[in-house]
Amino acid sequence: MTVSSQQPETSRQQDLAPEVRAALSAKLTALADDELILAHRDSEWTGHAPILEEDIALANIAQDELGHASLYLELRRELDGSDPDRLAFFRDADEFTNVRLAELPKGDWAFTMVRQFLFDTYEALWLEAARTSAYTPLAEVAAKALREEKFHLQHTALWVERLALGTEESRRRTQAALDELWPYAAQLFQPLPGEEGLVAAHLVPDLGQLRGVWEGFVRSHLAGKCGLSVPEALPAAGPGRDTHTEHLAPLLAEMQSVARAVPNAEVW
Amino acid sequence: MTQPHSPRPDTQWPRWEVFKQDAPNRPHQAVGSVHAGDPQHALLTARNVFVRRPAAVSLWAVREADLLTATPEELAARPEVLETPGEAGTYHVGLKRTHKRSMTFVDLVGTVEASGPGDALRQAREGHPDALTWLVFPESAVVRTDEDPGTLESWFAPAKDKTYKQQQFYGVIGKHVGELKREGRMPGRAKEGGQP
Repeated sequence: MTVSSQQPETSRQQDLAPEVRAALSAKLTALADDELILAHRDSEWTGHAPILEEDIALANIAQDELGHASLYLELRRELDGSDPDRLAFFRDADEFTNVRLAELPKGDWAFTMVRQFLFDTYEALWLEAARTSAYTPLAEVAAKALREEKFHLQHTALWVERLALGTEESRRRTQAALDELWPYAAQLFQPLPGEEGLVAAHLVPDLGQLRGVWEGFVRSHLAGKCGLSVPEALPAAGPGRDTHTEHLAPLLAEMQSVARAVPNAEVW
Repeated sequence: MTQPHSPRPDTQWPRWEVFKQDAPNRPHQAVGSVHAGDPQHALLTARNVFVRRPAAVSLWAVREADLLTATPEELAARPEVLETPGEAGTYHVGLKRTHKRSMTFVDLVGTVEASGPGDALRQAREGHPDALTWLVFPESAVVRTDEDPGTLESWFAPAKDKTYKQQQFYGVIGKHVGELKREGRMPGRAKEGGQP
């Protein structure tokens, strides 16, 4: 489950062909958008989590995911000179390329934990494979982010287990969250237009390969360990990352309000 | 030692005291506590609350009910604490030795073989008569982070890369401590403090 290391490494963006550079830039933006939007949803719990300790824990996770978004957008800046803050705060909903899974309202604690578990598992597998990317700046970022992601996964896997095996109410809520989130999960493994070229050049992992590993891990935890009922198959991914639910625009309106109120601010 | 009387029942999860080791060969230090439903949850929560930064290499958590603590004043008033019964075995001993530190409360200084928590406390007092507080707990009550490379890498390594500033960097509200120093208005340090 790693990108082949047979390919010569590319450490400089100048060595990438223009069309490869454009495809990689789009991929980095999609990766960053997932992290940015999910981080914002997690941050909505700050001050509202069930207990103080978990309030701090989820704020930590949100900050880590925001940090990953920043790492990806800095890689994109190296490719095309774009400003990460402009991308985060001055794009509208139809320009964001996050998965719909990330933008759904935070729901209850079970919903937030199940979503985070599904996403953390995907992210940890993606980063693990991306550590051997032929594009060395991405390989370095993946190695750095993977350390945090493995810890997130332990945290959310533990919570899903405790909720699923807890009280009747916590079990009901956890199953309801899984039923609602499951149809959104396949989009995590839907390649971007042009992504096959990046995979062929060993720049990014093959999502098709990751999907099988992800499903095996997720099923074994949710059904095997937590006793939840997991649907037989993942429904189709649906439309691409340019299509969003009605929930993204209000999220962006809040997330971007300060930056847009003072668009010429030099320091945050 | 004394439970504060509360008019409403306490619905919180049990409290766990968290001991953090900053580097190999340093003592584990009590840094605070977390509420958690079980041992693994206590460790995960402790990591989030106490190890985001700066660096650490190991965390222990001990359920509040497994701790016995006393000050010299408390022992003078209630010497029967030294008779507190419990399981025999290895007990960890922690000491509070100064009022001057913030962030950490107690350093773990070693272990004793004791017939119970009261006996462990008695031995702690004999070995360290000048301590301001003694704390003991049985080895069997400790839950620890794993020491494998994977755990060190995902639980503790990320904190090393993050910006960390000591409390004093932030100074007091309205005035940065550096400004006060430059203006010669910083209160003097007590002599035992060492470096000026």
